[in-house]
Amino acid sequence: MGRMLEDASKTLLKQNGVPVPGHSVISSSEELTADQLSTPKVLKALVPVGKRGKAGAIKFAETFEEAKVKAEEIFRMTVRNYPVDKVLVEEKVDIDKEWYVSITIDPQKKIPVIIATTEGGIEVEDLVKDSPHQVVVYHVKPFEPLHPYQAKEIWSRLGVTGKPLVKATSVLCKLYEVFTKYDCTILEINPLVLTKDANVIAAASVMGVDDSSLFRHPELEGLVESGSERSWRPLTELEKEMVKVNDADYRGTARYTEMDGGEIGFMCGGGGGSLLSFDALINLGVRPANYSETGGNPPEEKVAGLAKGILSKEGVKGLFVAHNISNNTQIDIMAKGIVRAIQELGINPQTFPIVVREAGVNDEEGKRIFEEAGITYFGEDRTIEEAAAEMVKKMKGVS
Amino acid sequence: MAILIDSNTRMVVQGITGREATMIVDHTTSYGTKIYAGVTPGKGGQLVRGVPVYDTVAEAVKYHQVNASLIVVPPAFTLDAVLEAIANGIQLIVVTTENVPQHDVVKLLYAAKQENVTIIGPNTAGIINPKDRIKMGSIGGDRPERCFVPGNVGVISRSGGMTTESSWMIKRAGFGVTTSIGIGGDSLIGTTIADLLALFEKDEETHAVVTFSEPGTSFEEDAAQFIKEGGFTKPLISFVAGKFTESMPDGTVFGHAGAMISGDVGKPSLKMKALRDAGAHVVERYDEMINVLQNVLQVKVGDAK
Repeated sequence: MGRMLEDASKTLLKQNGVPVPGHSVISSSEELTADQLSTPKVLKALVPVGKRGKAGAIKFAETFEEAKVKAEEIFRMTVRNYPVDKVLVEEKVDIDKEWYVSITIDPQKKIPVIIATTEGGIEVEDLVKDSPHQVVVYHVKPFEPLHPYQAKEIWSRLGVTGKPLVKATSVLCKLYEVFTKYDCTILEINPLVLTKDANVIAAASVMGVDDSSLFRHPELEGLVESGSERSWRPLTELEKEMVKVNDADYRGTARYTEMDGGEIGFMCGGGGGSLLSFDALINLGVRPANYSETGGNPPEEKVAGLAKGILSKEGVKGLFVAHNISNNTQIDIMAKGIVRAIQELGINPQTFPIVVREAGVNDEEGKRIFEEAGITYFGEDRTIEEAAAEMVKKMKGVS
Repeated sequence: MAILIDSNTRMVVQGITGREATMIVDHTTSYGTKIYAGVTPGKGGQLVRGVPVYDTVAEAVKYHQVNASLIVVPPAFTLDAVLEAIANGIQLIVVTTENVPQHDVVKLLYAAKQENVTIIGPNTAGIINPKDRIKMGSIGGDRPERCFVPGNVGVISRSGGMTTESSWMIKRAGFGVTTSIGIGGDSLIGTTIADLLALFEKDEETHAVVTFSEPGTSFEEDAAQFIKEGGFTKPLISFVAGKFTESMPDGTVFGHAGAMISGDVGKPSLKMKALRDAGAHVVERYDEMINVLQNVLQVKVGDAK
């Protein structure tokens, strides 16, 4: 899922006819003007993580002075590893009631699901468990829009009547249109506010867009951070470099996540094989310096780029390369890329342990290239876990 | 016997003229699997490694009575390819494509369900039945015999590569496989572990099943429930990779797109517990699978059928 910041999702909602509070974005408290603050405001840290309210990163301000002080407080915060660079300044809406609605894909039924409640301000997960009668869970048929009568039924079942029912019906249909139009993985409005003058406004929004669909959404360019689901903090410099290595060629994958500390560079694959390999090292009591996953028959350039990145991290004293027996990845290409990386970095496998477990397409040639470069090579004669044990044994000599 | 594919399978490859597809066709035909037809719009009349290409699935059905489709088209065209196969009565569809937009997956799975069509994938390496030497997908690469030998174990894996590695572990233990299936690395897929356990239960030649799992989804929990309800009664040997991810922050993805933990849902330790409680042999280390298989099947190494 590609994360989208709240100002971007609010702007999209507004463009699609969903009422949202007036909003602007500031990069420092200096940008606040008295003029802007003639009415009460809500200040929110603009970071790509949820539960900002709990973290104290959403504050209310009645006056200009109060807003300045609170904005400064927010700018000094780091919310779940994300330093606050920008703050969203919104009109405070005149709340009568706080509702909740989310649209996502039900992983069990494999179709879209709407979850709605008029009991605002509490954890919806708890509400579903404790008071299911106060929550409507409504599945929508694929290939079809959300018809107005369906949206109306959802709110009616929650006891909404009169003008608010008409407004909420219209808003929910528009939200569902946004969900399908932009290939959302989630669209959550919490709270959906019923104002004192009986309007329905999306006061806070979380919108996630499916990375895989970005090819058909040029309008979202720059608004969604592709691949951002793979990180729990802003990308490190090395990670950004590795994203470039991966994006430079569409063939194969090369993913890199930096870990705290660790001495063993980790270059494994594919999706399942890398998980198994990482577990194997952890079980042996060592800590890899990174997680990486490469496979899908990457070209030599990509292999070399990833290997160099892994080896360039400070404190790395060895390299473990392991894959499941490959269906399509060419082992000779892997070998060429890795050997090129160690030669360009001037690494000597005699003093810097490298253990490889690679079998599959073209592995005879791969074995020759690895062994000629002085690298410890295992093919299908050893399991991944056996190779990991060999790696750990060799590391004892250098750490 | 095997599940899903056998000598009655008549395969068409949708997207046959692409680079990846051509390689798969090469490997598949040299393994001995017959590919009856291919489909690429605008390329009707061509041949790919001797396989006739048509513009439509309708023609492939008309001239070759194909009943199973291997889909190797780019993500943007996957939904339409699946709808075309369903509309023409294809009963088994293997979707290899990775990164298919989720909303398209929702649609294609829904359409298949309406017509009782089996979808394997998306994002799968495919299926192989070594006894009949038939495979659909990249599974096994250029030398399927290396890892897939005929025998009495079924393999279900959430990772394509580990489908191959697990089948090789079974061979190393002295046994072979009836059918090995990569179910796809995504969280939204057509056929889950429980669905396949139901098929393996009915397959007389399958005496035990091995599963390879990852964090994320509730496939293992659902499979455990299915076993508890009596849906699967044969020995199940399970390995769940990615235990280290539990000590990483929530919502981070390692490996496949389906491998995301959210709250308690998707944790390997809970999957292992659920499977163990249901009576499965859950191995802590992958290599233990060899001993467990030998004990469970009570056949000496070398005596495997």
